[in-house]
Parts: sequence; C-alpha cells; structure tokens
Amino acid sequence: MNEVSPRLRVNGAEHTVTVPARTSLADLLRDRLGLTGTHLGCEEGVCGACTVLVDGLPVRGCLTLAATCDGAEVVTVEGLTGADADRLRAAFSREGALQCGFCTPGMLITAYDLVRRRAAGSPEEIRAGLGGNLCRCTGYQALVRAIASAAGESAGEPGTRGGAEPGTRTGESHPRDRA
Amino acid sequence: MKAKPPHRDTGCGVGAGRPRREDARHLAGHGRFLADVALPGTRNVAVVRSPVPHGALRSVRAPDGVSGTDVWTAADLAPLARPLVATAALPGFRTAPLPLLAVDTVRYVGEPIALALGDTRAEAEDLARRITVDIEELPPVVGHRAALAEGAPRVHREWPDNIYATTSVTAGDVDAAARRAAVSLTREYTVGRQSPLPLETRGVLAHHDRAEDQLVVWTSTQTPDLVRDAIAELLGLPGNRVRVIVPDVGGGFGAKCTVYPEEIALAAVATRLDHPVRWVEDRAEAMVATTQGRDHHYRLTGHAAADGELLALEADIVVDAGAYSVHPWTATMDASMASAMIPGPYRVRDYRCTARSVATHSTPLGPCRGVARPAACFGIERLIDDLAHELGIEPYVMRTRAMVGPRSMPYTSVAHKVYDSGDYPEAVRRVSRLIGHQEVRARQRATDPGSRTRIGVGYGSFTEQTAHGCLEWASRGLAVTFGVESARLVMDATGSLTLGVGVQSQGQGHETTLAQVVAEVLDIAPERVAVRQGDTAYLPRGDGTFASRTMVMAGGAAYGAANLLAQRLRSVAAVLLDEPPDRLRFEGGSIVGDRGGRTLTALAREFCLTPDHVPGADGGLDVTFTYRPEVQTGAFTYGTHAAVVRVDLDTGEVELLDYAVVEDCGTVVNPLVVEGQTIGGTVQGIGTALMEELPRDSGGLPAVTTLGAYRVPRAPDVPRIRIEQLHTPSPHTVLGMKGVGESGAIPPPAAIGNAITDALREFGARMDRTPMTAARVWAALDRAAASGPSRAPAVAGARTDAPGGGAVPR
Repeated sequence: MNEVSPRLRVNGAEHTVTVPARTSLADLLRDRLGLTGTHLGCEEGVCGACTVLVDGLPVRGCLTLAATCDGAEVVTVEGLTGADADRLRAAFSREGALQCGFCTPGMLITAYDLVRRRAAGSPEEIRAGLGGNLCRCTGYQALVRAIASAAGESAGEPGTRGGAEPGTRTGESHPRDRA
Repeated sequence: MKAKPPHRDTGCGVGAGRPRREDARHLAGHGRFLADVALPGTRNVAVVRSPVPHGALRSVRAPDGVSGTDVWTAADLAPLARPLVATAALPGFRTAPLPLLAVDTVRYVGEPIALALGDTRAEAEDLARRITVDIEELPPVVGHRAALAEGAPRVHREWPDNIYATTSVTAGDVDAAARRAAVSLTREYTVGRQSPLPLETRGVLAHHDRAEDQLVVWTSTQTPDLVRDAIAELLGLPGNRVRVIVPDVGGGFGAKCTVYPEEIALAAVATRLDHPVRWVEDRAEAMVATTQGRDHHYRLTGHAAADGELLALEADIVVDAGAYSVHPWTATMDASMASAMIPGPYRVRDYRCTARSVATHSTPLGPCRGVARPAACFGIERLIDDLAHELGIEPYVMRTRAMVGPRSMPYTSVAHKVYDSGDYPEAVRRVSRLIGHQEVRARQRATDPGSRTRIGVGYGSFTEQTAHGCLEWASRGLAVTFGVESARLVMDATGSLTLGVGVQSQGQGHETTLAQVVAEVLDIAPERVAVRQGDTAYLPRGDGTFASRTMVMAGGAAYGAANLLAQRLRSVAAVLLDEPPDRLRFEGGSIVGDRGGRTLTALAREFCLTPDHVPGADGGLDVTFTYRPEVQTGAFTYGTHAAVVRVDLDTGEVELLDYAVVEDCGTVVNPLVVEGQTIGGTVQGIGTALMEELPRDSGGLPAVTTLGAYRVPRAPDVPRIRIEQLHTPSPHTVLGMKGVGESGAIPPPAAIGNAITDALREFGARMDRTPMTAARVWAALDRAAASGPSRAPAVAGARTDAPGGGAVPR
C-alpha cells in the first residue's frame, strides 16, 4: 500500500509520520499521535466532532487526508490555549454547554474560531456558526449562551486579536504528543 | 425510605446549580471514550452485515489464505456462546432468538453475519469486503400493515403470524360512557421510526486477561451489569470471571441499554485469542444496526362531555418492533407502555385498549428517550385538541378541565399508575401565559386572509413515569425486573470519599449530582466525593442509567449510604470526643459536639491509621446502601409544553417561532443539570416532531443510511426554549426527587402537531404523523383542499372564518 510521510506541526510540536496514503488527519492524530480528544462521530463530515484547526482554519479531521497536511500547523483540542480558549472553557462549564462531552472538542474549536473571527455577535450569528456541529445532548441553548458570554469577554479586552496563536509556543509539546 | 427535604442551603449540596465535575476533562480533550482506549496488541474488528432485509444465508466464505482466527462466522461462534433470547412473561409472547451472527436467515439490513480482524480498522474493513456472502433474497415484510396482512410472509417461520404479543386493557364501561358523550372522535396517528442517535457510536473492546483469568470487556453501554450478566450466562462463565468496564459514554438515549450481539460475539472471540479485539461501530452501521425507536401506529377514539371532561378512551395500538426481540426489553415494551400512557394526565376511568407488537424485516426496536411516551403523548394530545375544537373549547382550557387535579393526588390512573404529586392544570395555565396565548390569538385574528402563511399555537401535556420499581417491570413481563440500586461510600485515611455506583452516566452528570447528595448529608464540599461508575468487578451491582431512574434510585442509594457513613462517623467521633453520638452534628467538613469537634480529615486519619485509638467504634468507614422505591410505579414528573409555529401554505414549511416549557420534577438536585436535560430532551423531541425519520423503500431497504441523510436538529433549527418550573416534592422518594431524563423528549411532537393543526384549522388540515416535514404538511393541506371546505364546527355560535380554529370562542 502507498505510504506518505507528511511533516506536521501539531500543537506546537513537529512530527513526521509515515502512514498509508488513505489515512485521514483525524486517524493520524488519534492513532499515531495519541491525540484522542479529536472525536469521530460520523466519518462523513457531517457531525463536526473531529473539527481541528489547520493553518488557523477549522476543518473536518475525518475528511482531510493526512497527506494533504504536509507542512501544516495543526491545533487540536489538547493544544487549544490562550485567553479566548480559557474563556470558552470556563463559559462552557459555567453555562452547562456540555453533557456527554463527545461533541465538545469540535464545538470548542468551532466556538474558538467564531470568537476569533468576531463572528459571535448575536445568538443568531452563533447558531449559524454552530450549524456544522451536531450536539445531541444540550439542545444548543447553553452552548449559545456560553459562546456569547466568552465572545463578550473577548470583545471587551483590547488587543486579543493580536495575541499569541494557540499551540504555537516553541520548544513545548503537549505531553500526549509523545504518547 | 423517607427523608426530609434539605434543611439548609449550604450552597453546595442539593439544590446548588454547580458546574459539573466532568467538564474539565472533556474540555481538555482528556475524556476517554471507547475508541480512545488503547491496549497493547489490540486488533480491530469489522462486521460483515446483511445488505438485504430478508434472505436465506447460503454460505459465508473467507478469502483463500486468510488465517482461521481472522474471520469468524456463526459456525465458529456456536461452540463458544449461545444466542440472545429475550423472554417475557406476557401471555402468548413469542420469542425470537437474536443470533450473535446470522445462522441461516437474515432478517434486517445490518444484521451481523461475520467478523473480520485486521491490525487497523481499515485493514479489518478490507478483509470484511473480501468475505463472500451468498444470500438468496426472500420477500420482506415492510411495515406494520404488511406484517398484519392476510397471507403475509412470516418473519419467524415457526410463528403462525407476525405478532410478538397482544395485550389488552379493559377498565370501566366505555360503551356507557360513550353514550353520555357530547362528542366522539376517531383518529389515526403515527409516530415514525427514528434513531436515538448518540453522537458516539457503539463499540466493544474485549480481551482475556490471563493474569487475572478474567474476560475483560469494555463497552459503551448504559447498563454495565446487565451486559456482564449476559456475557457470563451466554458464554457459560461464572460472573466473577467477566469484568465489564465502561469508559466515558458519548450519549445513549436508549441506544446503549440493550445487550447487543457484538458485545457477546467479541467477548466470545476474545476467549480464543491472545490479544485484545476492538470493534468501533461506524456511522453507516449505526444507522441500521443500532436499535431504533418509535414506529407507533394508533387508532384512538375519544369521548368527551360538552364541558370538556374526557369520558372514555379506546385505543388500538400497533408497534413495528422489527425483526427481533432485544434483551431485556423484548419487542413488547413500547406497545405495553403506550397502552398504559395513552390516558395521559387525564381523569379517565373508562378505557379499552389493544396493543400489538409486530415483527417486520427491519432493525430491532429498542428504547429511545421517552420510550413509548412521546408517541402516546402525540396520540392523546392531538385527540384532545381535535375534541376541544369540536366542542368549541380552547384546547388548553379543555386540558385544565379534564386533568387530574391537585386535590386528587396521589391518583391511581386507569392503567394503575400512581401519579404521586403536583398540580397538572397549573402547569397548563402557567405555560399558556408564558407562551402568550392571548397575544398569539390576537395575531391570528389580525392575519390577512390573503397571506400565504399562518401561525398557530399548540400544547402538549405529559406525565413522565420515572424510577419505577421491580413490580412495574414485572407487570410488563420482563425477565429482568429492574428496581434496586446500590451505592458504596468509603472514606479513606485522607478524609476523601469515594462513592461507587452501578448506574452509568452517558452525559447526565452523575459525578456531580450524586456527590451533591453525599455532600448534603455530611455538609462537605462535593469535590471531596469522587463518584466511580462503570466497572462491574469493583463497584456495587446496579441496573444502569435509563428510564429516568438514576437521580431517584442511585441518588436515594447515595443518600442512604451517606447516612450510614454518618452513623459510623458519629460512632468514631463519640469515642474520640467523649460525647454521645446523638449530640454530634456535621458542620462545614467537621463533626461537632457540645464540647468540641474534629475535622473529618483528622477523624479519618486517626481511625484508619490508628484504629487502636478508637476502641469500640462500630464498623469501618466503608458502607453500602441498597435503595428500593417505596411505590413501584415510580415518581411522576409532569408538565406542559407550548409551541408557536408559522406555516408556509405554499411549501408546507414549518418555522418554530417560540417554545415554552413548564414542568415539575420535584426536588431539583442541580438546576444547571436539570435545565440541560430538559432543553436537550426538548430539542430531541423537536427532531421527532419535524425532522427525524428512518423510512424504508417498498423493497424494505433503509432509505437513510448516513448521518448526512438523517435530518436532526442543529443549532439554527431551534428557537430559544423558555422554562418555568414548579416544585412539588414526591412524597414517595428520598428528598422528594423525581426523574427528569426523558421529560423534555415527550411532548414536543404533540405541542408542535397541535400548533400546526391550529395554524391550519381554517383549511381543515390535521397533523396525524411524525415527522411533520414540509412535504407532509403540504400534503395534508392538499388533502384537506381536495375534500372540500372545512366542516362546520360542532358548536353553534362558533365562526368558521375565525383564524386559528373555527370553533375557538373569542
């Protein structure tokens, strides 16, 4: 079987991983790097649980071939850091925005992207922004509340847009990267 | 066991809306779900499944050159394990043994036929595709009507027909009551088949731990002990040689509380291999191989008096239960429960019902959040609205007149259920104000008749039977009569506590709420209590988490265990403080007497490390309490939902403009968790009402086999849901708690169906089946138009031209 050896920077750590060419980014992250926070709910690009940031943009880990990620900067839930991520995590818990936790990593990545893009200005905008992420437990209301709350805090803090990108700290890798 | 309501608000025990203990790990990506469990040497399993709904399985052949232990068929499993046989004590019940792998017949698309092993999932799937399966297709039974038709093919050849069981109820004198009725209506209602759809699919990881000589099975289930018992029994092993471990479960909703063939098959295979085997269901499998829900078909007749009193009900219930009876629920659970729940919250004494569970060539039916209640609620509540319309009474007013009133509590229903407490009509009145009923009516009156949209308001009232005891399950004929729950509470030498339970969270937040119950008794921070679940080897036996039972049952057990531990702590402290135990009280993490106190940390350390300091203390700091409900039919949560919709007359599209809930689940342990259950359930119910469906084509093939094709509520699809709560503690449970896990999912199809019907009253179009898709709404309008103008209302003086319903008084 054909193999590929993409070189990726995942949560700030460099990896070159040799995998069968058909391997998805999500499978590479989960099976080869031990980053099991990226969940697979459908493997057809519909549920959004596997959403990760690739070069700063949210993508479906299940539909992205690892081979296409050569040279990419990947951030998973394990490496999502910074003030906006902290605010979102706190708000998710405070507002009850998670129950079983399975959709949570994808929700968090998507919410982070909405907050960073200033695309979480109203409940309607947040609901539209979450349209690609399925949550079967919460009914979305607490998610909307949490993201609005975190977005409000983020907007109230000057200069966050220019803050450090998550997972780009040099010389650091998440402990589970080495698993 | 009775208990007084909490006597103080410590801000951390019962009643505190605390964020959950579970959240941090999930938000960090450190949750551990079945697919995340990595054991060295694990090989992966792919399942070969039937592509046809009915066929004779002629042969299953592994490709040449494949190792004998890489492909498993029914013949290979036969010496290792017996099939799953769900039995019921109902008269005339017919068993339908569920093979672990198909033997000579396949009866639904998705039925397991063979297992293929590979180092990775992908390689296992590669091998699965190379296995040759020879099936001779046979004509399938598609749908309940075909199942009951004269001369229908039989799903199980040894049966005389396709009926698992028929049950009937006769109470009072329906015919006499009918003669007194001002109006009698007969309607047919259908609630379609849907998926419980937990976002995490099922999965099993099994290995023979030779060091412990134990078969260890990890599985994503709601019922760990039930799975352990089934594996032990079917593999012929003593229970102590089978250990079931359940990691984080990514949603269940009933899909994970049945014992599945894959759980038994992988356990059997693991006994013959020297490495772990793991199967993680993919979504395409989940859409056909995980149990499905609903598929209820009713013919209901209601008889009502002129003032809105509901005099009598008649019900003919048919449930399409699919190809097999699943363990332990059997194929009869939905139908028997529907027959008990159709009378709803109403004072009906005259009731006649026949319920049939039929076999078809479709995926076995299993529990689905609410089980029969969403369908029963849709039936009775749609009928109430149509009766009210005929009588010229506002539907919500008719509800308040026909319901069991607060002074009748506790009330034994015509189906022998004890409605324990509450004010059912008040929930209706409250929600009518919350939804702005009069404002909606005013908007309807102001609607331009030439407009191509209409708005409507509708209600759905419900009771939610929760935390029922053994006799209730026995009355349904189940072989396993759930109804007992244990909790073990241990205080260690550092003074921290561990609560072990046999229930199993799928997101409900047990680690938080059960700790709050213990914290309430001992007046400590809940963070001091670690809640452990999901390991049958080391935790007390439990029935699992389903049927809205955990907070009442495991909460009751935790409460009992905490009180037992409190007794032990008092006994130790009595020695150390030299005061009588009954003078000692728990305060802020200490045990305090008249002359002094001791922190629980210091006390635990002294007792555990130097027990000689505490001569004569009574027992250790390790207690187990077993809870049994006092009233076997459980504690009834209740409430009413109200919906406002806008319907597009040209396309049939329905927009939910507003949604309100008033409910009463007794004493609330954690308001944040309860709100999450209610709203989450309600949105699932909105899915049942408007979107979710698993149709089959005329050849019996599932038309929906991907998540993309299965419409399910997403964030933009649902409005903000407004909730008000009533708080009537149950007189029959610890702390007055009632279950709440399913309540939200029950009334949305009814409330939304009534709202759409209300919007379309002037056209005479009625909503009689779910999901109420645009196509179905449009077709109902089209049928109504074809059958001529709307009938004149039954009550003189009502106006047919009034928007929102001709017979509604203004």
